[in-house]
Amino acid sequence: MMTWIKIGVRNLYRNKRRSLFTIGAIALGLAAVNVFGGFTRYMYTNLRDSFIYVQGNGHLTVFKEGFLTEGKLDPLKYLLTETETKTIQDLCAKDPRILVVTPQLRITGMISNGAVSTIFIAMGRVPSDAIFIRKRATGLIEEVKLFSGKELEDEIIYGVGLSKGLAKKLGLGLDSGAIVMSPTVDGFVNALDIEVFQLFDASIEALDDKLMIVPLKFAQSLYDTNSADRLTILLNDGSRTEAMRTFLEEALRQKGLKVEIKTWRELSSFYRKTKDMFDVIFIFIFIIVFVIVVMSVINTISMAVMERTNEIGTLRAIGLKRRGIIRLFAIESGLLAIIGSAIGVGLTLLSWVGIQILRPTWTPPHISTEIPLEIYLAPDYMIVSLLFLFLLSLAAATFPAKKAASMNIVDALGHV
Amino acid sequence: MSLIQMNQVQKDYHLGEVQITALKDISLVIERGEFVAVWGPSGSGKSTLCNLMGMIDSQTSGTISFDGKEVAPLTDEEKTELRSSSIGFIFQNFNLIPVLSALENVMLPLQIQGVSNEIARKKATDILTEMDIANFIKQRPHKLSGGQQQRVAIARSLITSPALVLADEPTANLDSENAKRIIDIMHQINLSRGTTFLFSTHDQRLLDRVNRQIQLQDGTIVGDKRL
Repeated sequence: MMTWIKIGVRNLYRNKRRSLFTIGAIALGLAAVNVFGGFTRYMYTNLRDSFIYVQGNGHLTVFKEGFLTEGKLDPLKYLLTETETKTIQDLCAKDPRILVVTPQLRITGMISNGAVSTIFIAMGRVPSDAIFIRKRATGLIEEVKLFSGKELEDEIIYGVGLSKGLAKKLGLGLDSGAIVMSPTVDGFVNALDIEVFQLFDASIEALDDKLMIVPLKFAQSLYDTNSADRLTILLNDGSRTEAMRTFLEEALRQKGLKVEIKTWRELSSFYRKTKDMFDVIFIFIFIIVFVIVVMSVINTISMAVMERTNEIGTLRAIGLKRRGIIRLFAIESGLLAIIGSAIGVGLTLLSWVGIQILRPTWTPPHISTEIPLEIYLAPDYMIVSLLFLFLLSLAAATFPAKKAASMNIVDALGHV
Repeated sequence: MSLIQMNQVQKDYHLGEVQITALKDISLVIERGEFVAVWGPSGSGKSTLCNLMGMIDSQTSGTISFDGKEVAPLTDEEKTELRSSSIGFIFQNFNLIPVLSALENVMLPLQIQGVSNEIARKKATDILTEMDIANFIKQRPHKLSGGQQQRVAIARSLITSPALVLADEPTANLDSENAKRIIDIMHQINLSRGTTFLFSTHDQRLLDRVNRQIQLQDGTIVGDKRL
């Protein structure tokens, strides 16, 4: 085999420019796939962590059965009572795989600065739990502060956070006061004073003039209830999300609770849609790379076959079988793929190092502050793309190699 | 048993819709150890005859047997194996592999057979020494003279100790001195090893040295003279 590899290497040297072009196409193709793959990995990771940790949604969310479909029509019926909440919290407290179980209550109503009123949508959370969840974030999400002002507090229930668009609409700033109004679960109108503790960027631009974050006790007080509409669960290992859902569903069913549990992936439509879009773009890039690599390899091997027809005839005459000819060109193609891939991996690493040094920033679609742009090194992408390009190069060489192997020996020997 | 036996062999080519008969009604026997030349004018069918004997082409009709075995029913793979073990080729233009050194070119037929590099290297070195080009074994073909290249080609054809060596115009591209040297080498090997040589040639220098001349004209044998 070493003889054929040696012949393959030397044959690649025979037409350096053509070999370099093919190696370059493979290298750039592999680097493009991996750099873009690394960028999508960075996007997905940060969108996931933003949803789970920054927005405090955790890995799993427990709802009363029917809440997601009927909850808007009859909220009272689908809220988790204090007893139900405690049962779930007690069950989860015994499980070391669960770090936090915290109730939440989403509320809506009117907010007024005394002169102007507008509608709001608020997330009522336990501030200390929300802070705990946020601090479990790692990497970029841990570094980026997505609000200005101070943290909300469990005991100062009138201290709230406003989305920047909402604050602007009402002319409110940090430490400003305002009034919120909402119907209680019994249908009466309730109003409470608030003080703006923090201003934040809404994760969805369309909601930037409507969102608030309030302490859970404030939300419950405004709705005049001790219930919650969901329980957020943070796991110590996100990869066990599905398994934990199954486990909790069974455990809660045995406790007689009729609940449904959703994973963060099911609840984050923004993550899903963004991922779907980038996956499609990734496939397009991969197809373009695929076509370029296939065309380059076919061109290189076809030209080699044409130029070396006489040599193929000689090798066949002196006893090399047809599969030996195919092997010879497959080795050359494989060598092109290996060298191109090695350079491609080098280019990917170079891009990664360059970004680490230059630290460019950008403003992603869902936040208004600039954050560092990164690409993640994705070994799985790299291994898959390496294997794929290698096999692709071999497959692309098959057609011209088979053509070479099936040549009539006399014709090949007579070729000039 | 004869090395090659041809019975009423015919070879037709098709050029578009035109059929050209390159060989017709060829019947001949080549015995082991013969030093034979097939000669005749261009287009007489010399190369076609050699190609059929070398199993790199197939006849249209008739039978060809190699070492008692009929060739036509053999698969491409079986013919290739038979060529590898029993036939050596020498080409007019030497046909050495340009990316390999002289030594590597000579080793190649053995490596194709799966012989270890060590043994192949030893045998190739020995035969190149016998050809008196041991000093050039590391040179690539383009750095060798025509005579040296042809000696490497002869060494390559002999490395597997074949029963038959087919040489197509082996002296055509050589000057007189080199041609004489090449003919001497081949004749010496024919005598010492009993290797059968069959030349396609119209080089009088070679015709003068063979012990049998088969004359072809328009695809038929018009003379078969033992000297």
